[in-house]
Amino acid sequence: MTLTLSRPEPAVVNGRRARRSRLHAFEARSAPYVYIAPFFLLFAAFGLFPLIDTAWISLHRYRLGSSMSFIGLDNYAWLFTNPAFYNALLKTFTIGVLSTVPQLLLALGLAHLLNHRMRGRTFFRVAMLMPYATSVAAATLVFAQLFSRDAGLINWLLGVVGVNPVDWRNGSWAAQIAISSIIIWRWTGYNALIYLAGMQSISQDLYEAAALDGANAWQQFRHVTLPGLRPTILFTIVVSTIGASQVFGEPLIFGGGAAEGGALGQYQTLGLFLYQQGWQIGQLGRAAAVAWVMFLMIVVLVLVNSALARRRERAA
Amino acid sequence: MHRSSPPARKLAALVAGVALAVSACGGSGGSAPQAAAGPVELTVSLFGTFGYQETGLFAEYEKQNPGVTIKYDSTQSEDAYWPALQTRLASGKGSSDVQGIEVARIADVVTNQQDLWTDLRDTAAGSAVTGYLPWKEKAATTKEGAVLGLGTDIGPMALCYRSDLLGKAGLPTDPATLAAQTSTWPDYLALGEKFKAAAPAGSAWTDSAGGLYNAIVSGEQKIYYDAAGTLVYADNPAVKQAFDTAAGAGSTGLTAKLEQFVDPGWDAGFGSGTFATIACPSWMIGYIKGKAGDAGAGKWNVTALPGGRGANWGGSYLAIPAASPHKEQAAKLITWLTAPEQQARLFTKVGNFPSTTGGIAQVSATTDPYFADAPIGKIYSAAAQAAPVQILGPDDGVLKKVMTKALLSVEANGVSPADAWNAAQQAAKQQIG
Amino acid sequence: MTVFAPRSHGLLVAGPRTYAALTATALVFLLPFYYLVVAASRPMAEMAQSPPPLTPGPLLFSNVAKALDQQNIGLALVNSLVVAGVITLSTVLLCTLAGYAFAKLRFRGRGPLFALAVGTMMIPPSLGVVPLYSLMVALGLAGSLASVVLPSLVAAFGVFFMRQYLVQALPDELLDAAKVDGATALRTVWSVVLPIARPGMAVLGMLTFMTAWNDFFWPVIALDTTNPTVQVALAALGGGYVPDTGVIMAGTLVGTLPVVVVFLLLGRQIVGGIVAGAVKA
Repeated sequence: MTLTLSRPEPAVVNGRRARRSRLHAFEARSAPYVYIAPFFLLFAAFGLFPLIDTAWISLHRYRLGSSMSFIGLDNYAWLFTNPAFYNALLKTFTIGVLSTVPQLLLALGLAHLLNHRMRGRTFFRVAMLMPYATSVAAATLVFAQLFSRDAGLINWLLGVVGVNPVDWRNGSWAAQIAISSIIIWRWTGYNALIYLAGMQSISQDLYEAAALDGANAWQQFRHVTLPGLRPTILFTIVVSTIGASQVFGEPLIFGGGAAEGGALGQYQTLGLFLYQQGWQIGQLGRAAAVAWVMFLMIVVLVLVNSALARRRERAA
Repeated sequence: MHRSSPPARKLAALVAGVALAVSACGGSGGSAPQAAAGPVELTVSLFGTFGYQETGLFAEYEKQNPGVTIKYDSTQSEDAYWPALQTRLASGKGSSDVQGIEVARIADVVTNQQDLWTDLRDTAAGSAVTGYLPWKEKAATTKEGAVLGLGTDIGPMALCYRSDLLGKAGLPTDPATLAAQTSTWPDYLALGEKFKAAAPAGSAWTDSAGGLYNAIVSGEQKIYYDAAGTLVYADNPAVKQAFDTAAGAGSTGLTAKLEQFVDPGWDAGFGSGTFATIACPSWMIGYIKGKAGDAGAGKWNVTALPGGRGANWGGSYLAIPAASPHKEQAAKLITWLTAPEQQARLFTKVGNFPSTTGGIAQVSATTDPYFADAPIGKIYSAAAQAAPVQILGPDDGVLKKVMTKALLSVEANGVSPADAWNAAQQAAKQQIG
Repeated sequence: MTVFAPRSHGLLVAGPRTYAALTATALVFLLPFYYLVVAASRPMAEMAQSPPPLTPGPLLFSNVAKALDQQNIGLALVNSLVVAGVITLSTVLLCTLAGYAFAKLRFRGRGPLFALAVGTMMIPPSLGVVPLYSLMVALGLAGSLASVVLPSLVAAFGVFFMRQYLVQALPDELLDAAKVDGATALRTVWSVVLPIARPGMAVLGMLTFMTAWNDFFWPVIALDTTNPTVQVALAALGGGYVPDTGVIMAGTLVGTLPVVVVFLLLGRQIVGGIVAGAVKA
């Protein structure tokens, strides 16, 4: 402990320092709000307004090109008594699971592979993102060819192994598998890159400590990499869930631009159902109702997801 | 990026309020003030199938009319073009001086959008209205008699067939003989059964049940709507019969189960011979040539469509939105573009069949070497003249899709025709009713 | 199959099995792209054959020329570059700031506000289009590039992503040290947060650029082919009742190349541990 002789400070310097520290404190307190403000402002103008307007439209009968007429909750009544809606719900779920689970697992493995020191790293990382760079339209056109019943490469390969040609376009599970594979192809690299970024921010010291404790490579992966990636994994699960619930580009183009999702709605997801109502049939009021129901559903899903995740964390 | 200023927030709220009001108003009608005479730029927005640019007609018009510049833009897919146009019409801004309208949309336009389009009788285009096939312009006329569009092309239907495949199955390959043996739809299907028994493997009689249904029903006058505008698809015997015929063909293996335009197998089928016959409108001639390529030359031929009543599939109109400030100039342009001489030139260059009687007369002698020198001019003129004055309705496109999908489920998913019909009725009610 | 290789100097070293697995994956990912090249270089009828050809043909340049002739692809490329570039810069910057705030700063309402931000991701994109277009008309921006840029200047995805990244990559000790040093909030951001966030920002930047480049639905409504982005111009390709798939594929190829170039530039950012040494336990 040192004894300091206090010297009388001139009043003006004292005041300036006090003002500066007050300024600092104010800046520190207001900083968070300033940093998040641009996001919420822009969202308010370009996200919130259309959202609320869509809710308003959902209470009307509105064909694009004619005028709106108020019909209250009729659109919602139509929706909940419509078997096509429940079909779309089911298909969204099945295609969602079929495409998301393998995708995230593959992405995790791919990210780990890429986390090595190796030659040609740039080439592999670019190759990984190429599917995402190719537009949905081009990719799906190519896959539609590959899955063609009579002349497609995939049926030809199946034939080599002795399996009968599959009618990918018209079958029920077949079409869903085909579309899921397009989605997996497009998005695995995307998620792998996100995992890779996460992996690269895990400190090497943790791995060294684990190695010192005698952990082998697999154990290091389980006990260092995975926990370190938890926020990233949770992030990709939430984003993929939201994305899977809104899938509509791939089934739309697989069906050749028709929004029915197959003759029996084999692959009509909610997103496609919405698109069909709004842009093919032209009933914007109904499409708005579908959009709002989807929105509320996703909110519930994500809340459930996070609650489960929190419970898992507490248990761990 | 500092704290938000209150004025910015207020502005956003004000703008949001205004935009809400604008969008809630729906279509704003009324005509725009007309610009003064002088050099003028006309904006023309079309979708992929018109062929004016490819044939050089815009450049020629500009040369013939100094002072007029044409700014042209085109979207290939009509499915993308129409929602964008509707959004612009709804907001009252952003539409062009000339817009293309497809025949599947024209009923919606004349029933629900009279305020958004110009009555061409009041313009320079008015005199051209009488030169058309009666059923063509009737479709673009409102109940009150306003003419909202000038016809460009039509799609009269014939029967295109692979003479080599028919020959291999022992069927007649000469157009006249074939036409005689397929003068009715039941005859056509009976011949199909003979083909199925003797055909080379992997070759079906026709491409799809949906295509067959479309061909049969397009020869009817009353399809989904009656003259008063009421929906009659559920009780119209013509619709049920066409459905049953097509479903029968689908469930007995006479079709290749290929969805038209969307299944890549359908495109491939023209060259690979997956189907031996197809009901082909005039514009499909060019499609077949493109998809089958040089290897297909001489293998295809054309004869008259079964049923003997003529039929039409497709065709478009040129229209002038009410919001255009250059109505007279636009009217002069579309009159010239749709004049018989220009229509004939388009047929030669891109295969769009004329819709004016004068244009049809000019092309009636055309033959096509790719199709074994078939007299396509004569065949399609006859089909065009015989086509009925169809009653069109705003939801024709939706209903056609519903029927086609139900038929696909019969041929590809093994659904029984009765179940498919019921499913179609249900789907139609859900989507329209 | 185990691909867990021995570590050397802290990073795993790739063995032959790793290379094999990666090469196989790269082939699967690139094959459809290669097929695109084949389809762009052959006449339409050949692609309709069964089985279709597997090697490129002679028509690549003429199809590209036709595509460039049909639509103003040069202008579209420039427009897309501007739009995607502005969106990327804005998104990365604003989302990093917001992500940092949600990750490390304590303030009232943080939880609910973050939930709200994530919630905005759940809005299906295809419906807000009609009111959004009316808004653009009211602002006088319909048909201009601003109408495509403005709605995308921030993305909830970006906020969420940067928040997760910084929660894990930014140790509290560094921030405490900065505070002890007397740094203002802004200074902390500039000298501590941004350097650590850089790899995450690079990833976000790349993904955002590509998403903005490939965005199709809204630009087709908001713009027309006189002032298009690449996707708008490509959607308009074809011509006539018979769209020439070779020309469409060739146009698509031309429209995809710039994205590849951008990767190659930004890809190096992600390669080779920028993070190495910056993060301490």
